[in-house]
Amino acid sequence: MRLAARMEWIKLRSVRSTWWLAIGAVVAMAAAGAGVGLGYRSHTPVATAAQIFNNSLGGAVLAQLLLSALGVLMVTGEYGSGTIRSTLAAVPRRRTVLAAKTLVCGGFALTVGLVASFAGYLSGQLAIRGTAIPAAGLGDPGILQAVVLTGVYLGATALIGVGLGAVVRHSGAAIGTLFGLMFVPMIAAGLFGESGITIGRFLPLLMLLNSIAVTKPVPGLFTGWVSVLLMAGYATVILLSGGVVLRRRDA
Amino acid sequence: MIELRELTKRYGGRVAVDALSVQVRPGVVTGFLGPNGSGKSTTMRMILGLDAPDHGEALIDGVRYAQLTRPLRTVGALLDAGAFHPGRSGRAHLAALAASNDIPAARVGEVLRVVGLSGAGDRRAGTYSLGMRQRLGVAVALLGDPGVLLLDEPVNGLDPEGIRWIRDLLRGLAAEGRTVFVSSHLIAEMALTAERLVVIGQGRLLAETTVAGLAAGHDSLEDAFFRLTSQATDYRGTGVS
Ligand SMILES: Nc1ncnc2c1ncn2[C@@H]1O[C@H](COP(=O)(O)OP(=O)(O)OP(=O)(O)O)[C@@H](O)[C@H]1O
Ligand SMILES: [Mg+2]
Repeated sequence: MRLAARMEWIKLRSVRSTWWLAIGAVVAMAAAGAGVGLGYRSHTPVATAAQIFNNSLGGAVLAQLLLSALGVLMVTGEYGSGTIRSTLAAVPRRRTVLAAKTLVCGGFALTVGLVASFAGYLSGQLAIRGTAIPAAGLGDPGILQAVVLTGVYLGATALIGVGLGAVVRHSGAAIGTLFGLMFVPMIAAGLFGESGITIGRFLPLLMLLNSIAVTKPVPGLFTGWVSVLLMAGYATVILLSGGVVLRRRDA
Repeated sequence: MIELRELTKRYGGRVAVDALSVQVRPGVVTGFLGPNGSGKSTTMRMILGLDAPDHGEALIDGVRYAQLTRPLRTVGALLDAGAFHPGRSGRAHLAALAASNDIPAARVGEVLRVVGLSGAGDRRAGTYSLGMRQRLGVAVALLGDPGVLLLDEPVNGLDPEGIRWIRDLLRGLAAEGRTVFVSSHLIAEMALTAERLVVIGQGRLLAETTVAGLAAGHDSLEDAFFRLTSQATDYRGTGVS
């Protein structure tokens, strides 16, 4: 397992797409944070700390797509190029391969997710400096938790990508499915109006915007911790399915 | 030593490999011949545990591939040329595989030198020519200094010098007591490289013999091959009329 993880780490860091997606995720969040801060600078009435903070983490919507694509490509990139055969010849225990990918991708995406999340928060705060808008300090209630949980959420989306990649195998199809899963249920839940929240609170994107990346969850939604645990549960289920499929199918 | 016991694979209703029982011995190069679609690549994938047989088994030194603890140190394989992530350098590809089997990192430079890719090792594999990808594939096979080598059409895409290089390399490896199992379409080339031959058609064993034994009684080895496989060829072109 340790050796397999070393292999996966060498593979992950030796393709450019990894770094483009990681940098993209950080830049997306930093830019969104700065944009929100700048946008509210001359806003009347004066924005609240929560308004700035909640919106400054909005870049996570884009970052999650980039990091989940990173997770998908870690698996489908190998099927597309045929590298998967070298990988499975080197490590015939397929669940070990998937576990190693999970570990390496999870660690990397969590790190990137946390950096991105802090970048969003900090650039939002920097952008409102010198205005009457109250700053949100990391010591203030809910702030640190929201920033950290947003990073963890981003790490979990990458793992969902890995699992989906193992199930679907084809880059385009897997990324399409993933984005579909992110947005379609959200739109569907919206159609139900107020009552949609009973289902909506289980949907990743709604959890992100209304429960995880906010100072205080919107009423009716789970707390940030529960939402992130749900995400981890989704990732586990899909990774386990990926493991079953990987073991059964010919490479 | 590779041992196939009634190895069988079906895709849908079609039988790709049909109760194939063969022993591939160490010390000589064994050629694996058969028309297009006769099941050579499928057999090789099953030996490596990539495709699961529907019946029978493939053993390497008495055990299944999946039971090997550091498989690359026992079996080196070249399957399809160009099975590399186009964005990753040849060196990184080798380094990743070396790490997975606890092979010293210094070995990467060594095998790159052996296959003549020292100068191109840091370039992205997507920029390699067909022959260069084939050489990188050979480097992968040699990486773990394995006692068993499995090569699916290694001369595909190589220039004449490369073909001769592969021939000498394989014969040298066999002379060191290794098991070398190599598929090819080029019968004349196999006659120069291999000592023993395994010929299949439609997934079935047609002959397990020496090069001299197959050629005996025919004008050429090619004639002997066509005679042998004439009833077992799925895909055959015709003249343009
Ligand atoms: N993944 C697959 N799905 C369905 N059929 C397959 C698959 N792989 C191989 N086959 C079929 O199995 C048969 C054997 O194919 P295989 O690639 O093993 O032949 P081969 O001897 O390597 O041919 P070639 O000389 O052209 O490389 C063919 O009829 C092929 O169409
Ligand atoms: Mg073939």
